[in-house]
Amino acid sequence: MTRKQITICCGALFLVFLPPVALLGGNPYLISLASRIIIYALAAASLDLLLGYGAMISLGHAAFVGVGAYTVAILHFHSAAAEPLFSWPFLYAGSNNALLTLPLATLSAAFAALIIGALSLRTTGMHFIMITLAFAQMLYYFFISLEKYGGDDGLSLAARNSLLGVNLGNSSHFYYLCLVALVLFLIFAHKLVNSRFGLVVRGAGNNDRRIKGLGIHSYRYKLATFVIAGGSAGLAGALLANQTEFVSPGLMHWTLSGELMVMVLLGGLGTLFGPVLGAAVFLSLETTLAMYSEHWMIYMGPFLVLTVIFAKRGLFGFLTGDKGKNG
Amino acid sequence: MLLVIEQFLNGLQLGITLFLMSAGLTLVFGIMQVINLAHGSFYMIGAYVGATVAALTGSFLLAMLAAVAAAAAVGCIVEILVLRHLYARQHLDQVLATFGLIMFFNELIRIIWGRQPLFMNVPGALAKSIQLLPGLHYPTYRLAVIGSGLLVALFLWLMFAKTKIGMQIRAGSSNREMVGALGVNINLLYTLVFGLGAALAGLAGVMAGPILSVEPGMGESILILTFVVIVIGGIGSIRGAVAGALLVGMVDTLGRAFLPSILRTILAAATADSVAASLSSMAIYILMAAILVWKPRGLFPAHG
Amino acid sequence: MADTLLQVTGLHKSFGALLATNNFSLSLTRGHIHALIGPNGAGKTTVVNQLSGDLPADSGTIYFRGRDITRLKSYQRARLGIARSFQITHIFENLSVAENMGLAICAGLGHNFRFWRNWQSTAAIKKELPLALERVDLLHRAELAARHLSHGEKRQLEVGMALIGKPELLILDEPMAGLGPGGTVELAKLIKKQKGQVTILLVEHDMDVVFSLADRITVLVYGENVATGTPEEIRHNPVVRKAYLGEGE
Repeated sequence: MTRKQITICCGALFLVFLPPVALLGGNPYLISLASRIIIYALAAASLDLLLGYGAMISLGHAAFVGVGAYTVAILHFHSAAAEPLFSWPFLYAGSNNALLTLPLATLSAAFAALIIGALSLRTTGMHFIMITLAFAQMLYYFFISLEKYGGDDGLSLAARNSLLGVNLGNSSHFYYLCLVALVLFLIFAHKLVNSRFGLVVRGAGNNDRRIKGLGIHSYRYKLATFVIAGGSAGLAGALLANQTEFVSPGLMHWTLSGELMVMVLLGGLGTLFGPVLGAAVFLSLETTLAMYSEHWMIYMGPFLVLTVIFAKRGLFGFLTGDKGKNG
Repeated sequence: MLLVIEQFLNGLQLGITLFLMSAGLTLVFGIMQVINLAHGSFYMIGAYVGATVAALTGSFLLAMLAAVAAAAAVGCIVEILVLRHLYARQHLDQVLATFGLIMFFNELIRIIWGRQPLFMNVPGALAKSIQLLPGLHYPTYRLAVIGSGLLVALFLWLMFAKTKIGMQIRAGSSNREMVGALGVNINLLYTLVFGLGAALAGLAGVMAGPILSVEPGMGESILILTFVVIVIGGIGSIRGAVAGALLVGMVDTLGRAFLPSILRTILAAATADSVAASLSSMAIYILMAAILVWKPRGLFPAHG
Repeated sequence: MADTLLQVTGLHKSFGALLATNNFSLSLTRGHIHALIGPNGAGKTTVVNQLSGDLPADSGTIYFRGRDITRLKSYQRARLGIARSFQITHIFENLSVAENMGLAICAGLGHNFRFWRNWQSTAAIKKELPLALERVDLLHRAELAARHLSHGEKRQLEVGMALIGKPELLILDEPMAGLGPGGTVELAKLIKKQKGQVTILLVEHDMDVVFSLADRITVLVYGENVATGTPEEIRHNPVVRKAYLGEGE
């Protein structure tokens, strides 16, 4: 087995056995932290599709997380308040069923990604970065203006969604749901980047002019990737809404997009599995450093600057020797 | 009618602030081809230094000078220490590194000044209103901001059109290789351009201090508006910055002021108000999207 | 009667006041290696860009296999069987050699929205990739990232990618540029190897290569075709000698 396969297996084993071990050790809060890490890992890995493979530097990725989260929250709000979401063309009362809310969240985020991507991908480079940022900010203000769903203060969920009788309020159960989502995404994304579609996207990310010279319309492939990444981020958002039982427009603030990028960078650009590690490191650091000093960001900032300037390989590359698709 | 004029002036004032922010940034984009997310931090530094000096000395003029000097100084330091390493790097690296700078500056401000917003008083001499037209009183301070902005715009225009350095910058904005070939000291030119941009941002910050609140993170909200201005106006072009800034300033201000009334004529009051609230905050982004569909590179891109 | 693959007549191109291509005409015989030479600034790349479709001509006509392609875009001409390499290598630096070739193969397959199976398991890839790599002697470098190739190998890769899809006409724009003597020999061997399978228009500065490979040579001076003939004829042509060497050699 290669170093990469060993690392992934070790990681997988660790993640699978974490809840029982944590419970035995008397540290049940670790399970919640781990759920959070997995959710962010999913969001970061979906961003890696854009950043590491397609060279689409989207500063608006957090918006899709937010759309997914709000979809869950709004559906829950209406089901709990016994007030229909809409009455025409048919009466729909909202839902608290995970089998419905999670796919709907993914689809709404994907739809938002379709619209934003269709407009933004007509540009490249610095324009693209600024435009994705601007659209995400637009969504941020849009959700703030929704007074009915909490506006600036956000919206609480009375309880987590229910899934086929499984009580997602139980942190272990919820953790495994998140883990399944992450694993499914990683498998799908892995297949995607190694397929013909993925080959075209990687080529377009590397040398878009040449791809066009080969007669391939790179726009379609990039847009499809953008939508897939956006939808997956929406799924992460839906899980996040369940995890914290609270959503607010702050979820789609662009600084969150920045943090996701940092996670991708830390873990390794263009590796898919790296961002998982990156999320773990970033969130663990955030949690531990925050205990020592509320001003931990003053160390994080320069650390990030130095890492970017001097050390770009990321942790995954360091562990496995795999320099990723861009190494 | 008077209300329209008043809002028009407000829009102009916002436009001036945005112009000051975007002029420097668009030059940095165009000449150095580097995306700098930390530009908002210079705005914030200007506001904080200005507020502190104003409170200490009671002189707004001193505050302005201190703010501009501080922002310019920090800008030059940042350029030499960080940005220089990023010119040859990919945009992603630039985004991440400057994002790290934002984290650093926000936290630094919090450590020095705390989380609570600072209050900055309008300078005494300008604290009243002037009667512009019968029935229309407009705050003198805002008029002063508009006036200063116009002066700065004039100064920039003179500098670019008439001085040697200005010509070098303009040349660099449309053809970077030429600048080096002309024997100009590139490093010095870049530091100057960056410092100038930071100084303008600092000026925008100190002037906005009495109007908006001075708090950590204030740079980020204005930064995104600045990006919208640059995208609309075109990267690398001062003319674009002027056009974009005025457009954004007007659309945002007039939208927020008049959309509720306009919508009330079509929809029921409650619906109209909530739709208006959503629409007015989204207005400039919708404007940006519309312009992009028509002109993907902005209204007056530097490279044509 | 020789089979004319490409017939160019009266090509004109101006950039403002600069006349880059002046009434340029050329006749390419199928199966030949036809070289286009000329002093620096003669406008060779401009001519090439008009032939490949990357630059539209102001006037004149281009017929390929008897068909008027003057108004067609570059990828449309590519579909018809015209391929080209670029002066500055234009490959996918971050992808492996095999992936570079694979992309060129996939480009010819129509839509590539297959997102589940590994690209290497595509039937067309399995069949053509080894051949494509072997054709340009890069089989042993297949897994290497393209940016780690030597300058000469990158050129080989570019030629290899251009050859995928079995073009009838291959335009090589200064392939020897920047190569050392070893690389030049290798690339010349490669080009010679393709003779018979593809017609080649070779734009080059390196006279040794040109005279050893070409069946016919066209000389371009200030955008104009001043002489066309066999290598021997061109070598002794007084107009050519003057253009290259100036008066009083």
